[in-house]
Amino acid sequence: MTPPLYIALRFLTHRKRALLLSLSGVVFGVAIFICTQAQTQGFARYFIDSTIGSNGALVIRSRFRPRYEPLMVSAKGSKAAMGRRLYFEGITNPNEIMRVSRQFSNIVSCSPVLRGTVSARAGFENATVDLYGIDPALHAQTTDILHQLINGNFDDFRNNTSSIIIGSRLAELLQAGVGDTVQLLAPNGEFWRFTVAGIARAGIGSIDATRIYAHARVAQALLQQPSGATMIIYKLRDPNRAPALASRFETLFQHNASSWQEREESTLQLFLTLRMSVAITVSLIILLAGFGIFNVLTMSVLAKIKEIAILRSMGYRRIDISLIFLWQGAVIAVAGSLLGCSLGALMTWGVSHIPIRLRTRIISW
Amino acid sequence: MGLAPLRLCDAASTYCRLHRELRPCPTRRSVAAGCYYSGLKMNSQICLSCKGIERYLGEEEERVHALRGVSLEVEAGSVHAVVGPSGCGKSTLLYILGLLDPPDTGQVAIESKSVSHLSDDELARTRNKFIGFIFQFHFLMEDFTAQENVMIPMRKLGQLSDVQMRERANDLLEAVGLGDKLRRASRHLSGGEQQRVAIARALANDPRVILADEPTGNLDTANSDRAFELLQNIVQQGGNALLLATHNPVIAEACDWIHEMKDGRIIASHPRSTRSSIV
Repeated sequence: MTPPLYIALRFLTHRKRALLLSLSGVVFGVAIFICTQAQTQGFARYFIDSTIGSNGALVIRSRFRPRYEPLMVSAKGSKAAMGRRLYFEGITNPNEIMRVSRQFSNIVSCSPVLRGTVSARAGFENATVDLYGIDPALHAQTTDILHQLINGNFDDFRNNTSSIIIGSRLAELLQAGVGDTVQLLAPNGEFWRFTVAGIARAGIGSIDATRIYAHARVAQALLQQPSGATMIIYKLRDPNRAPALASRFETLFQHNASSWQEREESTLQLFLTLRMSVAITVSLIILLAGFGIFNVLTMSVLAKIKEIAILRSMGYRRIDISLIFLWQGAVIAVAGSLLGCSLGALMTWGVSHIPIRLRTRIISW
Repeated sequence: MGLAPLRLCDAASTYCRLHRELRPCPTRRSVAAGCYYSGLKMNSQICLSCKGIERYLGEEEERVHALRGVSLEVEAGSVHAVVGPSGCGKSTLLYILGLLDPPDTGQVAIESKSVSHLSDDELARTRNKFIGFIFQFHFLMEDFTAQENVMIPMRKLGQLSDVQMRERANDLLEAVGLGDKLRRASRHLSGGEQQRVAIARALANDPRVILADEPTGNLDTANSDRAFELLQNIVQQGGNALLLATHNPVIAEACDWIHEMKDGRIIASHPRSTRSSIV
């Protein structure tokens, strides 16, 4: 142990009250920083998992007409106007798109969805709902619908084409439970009767309050849609590579493809802003703790003027004297950070065990 | 409050043993007190000297010419007293000789080697190895025990292991009569005891020169006599040199040399043989 470190430790241990004060400032600052960051990051992670679990990491939707403007020869003096994309609703040849897209290594599975908006009625309650016509087997592979079921049985849904799965908040709204009947209003004004086979909770309020899953064939008939799918949702091995794959799919299939990052950009920005805001707030707390340490060390230096003179007279260099006080700061910072990390982990663990039911409200796509 | 009776003979012999341990080569000669001043050449080993020291203190209107061409030589094994009225420059001279303060002009040499060109770090190293300081108000590290206080210069020198440092500190404290208070916090020692710890600490690295700024100024007569006697014995037996600033005429009389200072100058130097009573 070097003499400055030895002397620094002695100074520190002798001033126990000042040491505890400085240490506690760092410990709590670091712990709160970790805990708040973990919470905001946890919320973001939960949201991302939920949205990917419900809506997929990548979605292919409407076909668009390729632009041929670059091939056109514009008249002299006229500026070539860039035309907007022309979209056609629905997926053209979804089976072929799925077959080709499965060749990509990042694709785990994909599921075609026929989507439409209808009215639902149960008893005296009415609601406007998002009807998702799905292939149960493919959808179970691609999304977390199996884990989202809080009531009922997915096999009952799979084996019965006149059954549906409804969102948990919608079920509350319609006051419908498993086995109850829900009527859906077709565009031609006819009511179709379905049995509730399951209730799903995605954890995202807008999904849970509006979504109904039905068999694709039945949904196609009910919605009177000519195409078998209005979108294809994908489960990816690496969801972080979704934007690159979306760009590739757009070029390849001439269909609009959007990654989850693109879909949820505003929400992700919100989380980022929240994290930055919390980080700034907690950093200010740590800065205050730092000022506390600085204050304690300054007081320590002022209180040790005599000791500094003694040490200089005994042959200690200026750098040795500086090191004595820097070591004190370093010891407080390192010990405080380590203790703060442990306390932060403990606090985070404790917070994660508080039974909170999250209701995330987002604008669904 | 007061010094316990010092076992001076024991202390001196213990210190001599310690001296041999740290500096085993018997290079020093047994010398009589000597000094070089105003052309008086000594024939013994000079361990500390200064020549033409000028020092100004303060700024602008408050600027004071504290030292005016001070020259002095201190020989190994001798005890020198610097006497004079307050503000005559005694402490300033000691701090310059102790390499704590640089002179504005003039040179300081330790063992005939000039230290004027040395960097601050090298001066600190030289101070650690060659010079021991004793201050009027003990100036011990309050947070440390007596033993730890004595070990601080040794830690910096870094020549001994931790066990050896501890043993040497114990022996030194034993030598100054504090063998039973090794682990007592320095602030719990009496004034006399603290001064003895300061003496032991000044001897920790077996310095060539011990500089003492009114080492007995804060002690009662009995304690100051005993502390001085202890220092004197240790210096004479160990072959170190002692230069002390003092107002105490009895102590000054007991020194080999007395240097009278006035207005920043040494106005006279008196070896023991040529004086009846100076102060």
